[in-house]
Amino acid sequence: MTAASLPQFPWLTLLVMLPLAGALLCLLHGNRTVESRWLALATSLAVFGVSLYLFFCHGDGGSGWLRYEDVSWIERYGIRYVLAMDGIALLMVLLTAFLQLAAILLAWRVEEKASYFFALLLLLESGLMGIFLAYDLILFYLFWEIALIPMFFLIAVWGGENRRRAALKFFLYTLAGSLCMLVAMITLYQIHGDQSGTYSFVIGDLLQTKLSSTQEVWLFAGFMAAFIVKSPLVPFHTWLTDALTEAPAAGSLDLTGLLIKTGIYGMIRLAFPLFPNASRDFLPILAVLALFGLFHAAWCAYNEDDIKRLLAYSSISHLGLVVLGLAAWQLTAWEGSILLMVTHGLTTGALFVLVALIRERTGTRSLQELGGLWGQAPYLSAMFLLFSLASLGLPGLANFAGEILVLLGVFQVHPVWAVIAFAGVVFAAAYMLRLVQGTIWGPAKVKRTLPDLTAREWLILLPMAILVVWLGLYPAPFIAPLHGTVAPLLLGGMP
Amino acid sequence: MMIPFGHALAFAAALFILGLTCVLARRQIIMILIGVEIMLNAASLVFIAASAYWQQADGQVFVILLMAITAAEVAVALAMVVYLWRRKKTMIADQFNGMRG
Amino acid sequence: MSQTLLFLIPLLPLSCAVINMLFGMRLPRLIPETLAICGVLGAFLLTILFWGYAEGEGTRAVLGTWLSSGSVDVSFALCFDKLSAPMTLMVTGVATLIHFYAIGYMRDEVDYARFFSLLNLFVFAMLAIILADNLLILFLGWEGVGLCSYGLIGFWYRKRENAKAGTKAFLVTRVGDVFLGIALLWLFALTGTLSITEINAQAEMISPGIVTVLTLLLLVGACGKSAQLPLMTWLADAMAGPTPVSALIHAATMVTAGVYLLCRLFPLVSLSVFGMAAIAGVGAITALYAATCALAQREIKRVLAYSTMSQVGYMFMAVGAGTVSGAMFHLLTHAFFKAVLFMAAGWVIHLAGEENDIFRMGGLAKNGPKELFWIFLAAAVCLAGVPLTGGFFSKDGILLALFTEGTLLYKGYWLIGVFTALLTAFYTFRLVYLVFAGEPRGEGQPHAVPALMRWPLWPLAVLGLAGGLLNLPAMVGGGESLHQWYGKLAGRQVTASHDLEWLLIALATGIVAVGWLLAHLRYRSYREPLDNSVSRFLLAGWQADAVVDRLLVRPFAAMGRFCSAGCDRTLFDGTLEGLVKLSGRWSGLLLQLTTGRLTTYLSAFAWGFLIMLGWFLLKLVNGGGH
Repeated sequence: MTAASLPQFPWLTLLVMLPLAGALLCLLHGNRTVESRWLALATSLAVFGVSLYLFFCHGDGGSGWLRYEDVSWIERYGIRYVLAMDGIALLMVLLTAFLQLAAILLAWRVEEKASYFFALLLLLESGLMGIFLAYDLILFYLFWEIALIPMFFLIAVWGGENRRRAALKFFLYTLAGSLCMLVAMITLYQIHGDQSGTYSFVIGDLLQTKLSSTQEVWLFAGFMAAFIVKSPLVPFHTWLTDALTEAPAAGSLDLTGLLIKTGIYGMIRLAFPLFPNASRDFLPILAVLALFGLFHAAWCAYNEDDIKRLLAYSSISHLGLVVLGLAAWQLTAWEGSILLMVTHGLTTGALFVLVALIRERTGTRSLQELGGLWGQAPYLSAMFLLFSLASLGLPGLANFAGEILVLLGVFQVHPVWAVIAFAGVVFAAAYMLRLVQGTIWGPAKVKRTLPDLTAREWLILLPMAILVVWLGLYPAPFIAPLHGTVAPLLLGGMP
Repeated sequence: MMIPFGHALAFAAALFILGLTCVLARRQIIMILIGVEIMLNAASLVFIAASAYWQQADGQVFVILLMAITAAEVAVALAMVVYLWRRKKTMIADQFNGMRG
Repeated sequence: MSQTLLFLIPLLPLSCAVINMLFGMRLPRLIPETLAICGVLGAFLLTILFWGYAEGEGTRAVLGTWLSSGSVDVSFALCFDKLSAPMTLMVTGVATLIHFYAIGYMRDEVDYARFFSLLNLFVFAMLAIILADNLLILFLGWEGVGLCSYGLIGFWYRKRENAKAGTKAFLVTRVGDVFLGIALLWLFALTGTLSITEINAQAEMISPGIVTVLTLLLLVGACGKSAQLPLMTWLADAMAGPTPVSALIHAATMVTAGVYLLCRLFPLVSLSVFGMAAIAGVGAITALYAATCALAQREIKRVLAYSTMSQVGYMFMAVGAGTVSGAMFHLLTHAFFKAVLFMAAGWVIHLAGEENDIFRMGGLAKNGPKELFWIFLAAAVCLAGVPLTGGFFSKDGILLALFTEGTLLYKGYWLIGVFTALLTAFYTFRLVYLVFAGEPRGEGQPHAVPALMRWPLWPLAVLGLAGGLLNLPAMVGGGESLHQWYGKLAGRQVTASHDLEWLLIALATGIVAVGWLLAHLRYRSYREPLDNSVSRFLLAGWQADAVVDRLLVRPFAAMGRFCSAGCDRTLFDGTLEGLVKLSGRWSGLLLQLTTGRLTTYLSAFAWGFLIMLGWFLLKLVNGGGH
């Protein structure tokens, strides 16, 4: 497929199709574990290379679409194959490619049906890339579901003890949300077609639809049902804790680092621009939900004994802040929110990696049974400490940059929200320090010699650690692409 | 001379009802299959009669097609009957309720 | 260009910390130790070298942008002016000596790399607070200090209590940080900038009511780091850390940060009369509270911890009374003698065979080295405020400022200050008597003390004794040099008639004498400690921990249980389970239709066919009717 509208190399298509091709090749390799492993690594490396290239091409941002690929697809129903990339998508693509690389390295030792595992990981990557790039509702929906299925199987086949149940809960919950979205999509298509005479699913066309306020509210609700469940906002979050806990390590990494970001990305890309008035009215409710989730999840995390569940709750709590930033509808807050999405993907992703490594070594995830790891595996513990500190928002590390921008932005519009949210900082410290206290400090409870980080594990964690410090001290390169994108979005338009 | 169209239709209807009764009343799989065949033949008869009545070959073409399909269907069905007999040593249809919800 | 070199001052300890953190464990012991020393000593020498930059309005240097989004534009900027330069010099100087001491103290520690990198990082974070020209950089240092205290207090992590004490320090100070953070957000919303210089310049434009609220927010923030009421509970527990860490926290870093913050933002803070009174009030109450607690403590380091809290209370009173130079003067002298006291306490503990309880010490004047006795005494008289020592002049300056403030409220603070001075003299000499007088009461075997733990105390002790020269009042022939140096930043000029000053000096002298006399009568010969309800109450720090536990920690944990078990598992998941059950029941009903019996299906099929046929016939009949 080549982009018809613009005579340039279809890099975006490559981003989506490369992992898909890799997945198919992995499947063809059947039970040859080693080949599929290297194949998956090569594919994700290539995807990462492409995304890096795009980042260097468009790192300075600039307004409008950075890339736009438009091909006719199912002409009869006005469905087109449109991939488009703006600054936000650029960051998300980069994050996806980076974390996927880490996920594949993390899954390196998976032996059971390994080629299927890698195929699913790559399929997931393809779906995620598609979600972040699609600019046609049907295409978006297609990728939205493509990303759902591999995750279902990753949990259901390679998961922990309650994997079936968790996978089913995940699947049904998110499917219920996305079906609401599908209905809303088709209704919107119909309304737009009746109005203008041209039936089209391309988002750019649908932006011009004139909706009565009742129509707008209902359609907005349909879209938000999918995004709120996916984000997930309390009280629709219980699938995430179960899924994250039961998923295999690489699956948890993808789930927390990327998949739940698609919900927020959907709000930014679809729900807010398509229904500006309804979303403006909904913002206070969104803020309340976000704040409620922020504290509720923090409290739950404080009470949790399983470190994976604790981290799952911390994810929900952090995303509360991200959503709060969006609800403020303010430039700085939005840029902070998007930056926080990226940094959260890094820090919490790395923490999930570390939890998996700890589980591999000690055989437990319970705070009751862990402790004193510093004496046994100092480098592992140091990494754990670093990412925990980043996660609790220590200045100079990644999350702080996003958090403070969100808070600075929110305070200018809604001081009370920001003040309440700031108190969450103490909550984050409370549960993260409890986590650190229970795992790496105290007397050593597992009386075995535990191996420290291996070369492969260094390879996963070191780039993440460097990025966490880099983003903490010099986030400018990652904010720059946002400048040209966020401002027009806030004014209600698209690039 | 030609048989009147109405007679043919009445005969086909009678045949159909006989077949249906067989299908509904009998418990043996073989008998149910035979009932189905009779119903199919009734349908074929209507096609033939109509084809003769309107002087068009379409109906006859269709009947030939139907015969081929029926032959295939019977072949498959009888093979399955043999298989089912091997499994349960019975031909009573209600014994095969593995699809119960 | 060359003012960018000022960044070397904080970056030197930082880079040494990073190197030690990454490679320290693989290097022979000497290299991390040398690096740690080089980091702080280098910063100290650079401060002297760059002293000229502090003249006049001071120098501002920018390294690059940190955060930039919309109207937010935060750069790595530092401000080396007359307020920050002496503080930098003190912090790096005292920290250098403490580092030397630490090498001696930790000579048997296996995990030296972690220790020294955290120590250097601590100094870096403090320097970031001091030199920040920007509230966000200050906040970075502010939280960094909290982190390092967390890591160092819980340094011996294998004992759960130590790690808990570290966590407590981090959490309690973070509560304060939130208030500072909110003030930061608000100031940005008001002024559109985070630069401290510009905020101070624009302070007068902010409406008075908001200034008061901002001052109170800053005050709570300062309370967290400076261990003032109500966020003081962490300091006494922070004694779990190694002694050099205590010295660093109490003398050079951390607890003085709050005072410094208020001095730094003095042009803003001083605009609010109510805020100033609140600052002085918090200081006065804490000073009194901590002094009473110190009366009953049994552990040598806890006595010193409460004395720190009390002395920092004096500094708050000074800020509240409007004299920045007075606060900074006391901050400097206190840093010198408190560092000595802690390091000498470490030495004492070594000699007493790792015994902390002063009631099981004793006799060190006779049995211990004379050097130790004289050094400890020198620092103790500074703390007690014996005339002519540094502590005397600085404390007297604060009391004078409180007395001359005019309003009745400040007279009340002054009374509290005087009474606290009496208590201070008493508990200080109680400590000296219990540790040094009489016969040894403990069983511990004395450890040998390396030279590195001895000589760093001398210069500090001398500085403490002679610290008064820094800001000698005009009345005794001094030039108030510190006050002159600060110039515009110095705050209110404290003026009083010489008669009044002499009167106050006489009063202060008398108070010290009374305090000493009481201690002398009570502890000259050893007596068992009192064990009544009052002393138990004071020993437990007025049961502050229990109150916090009851009021905050337990409700927090209960809320956690409620959210987790009550909401998530019961309400949210329960609703889901209910939906699942409901649809299960419906599917059960529908399942009964699918019997799996072929005959049933066939008859249903036939009936359906009949109905359809009937319906079509009906339509046909109706259609025919037209």
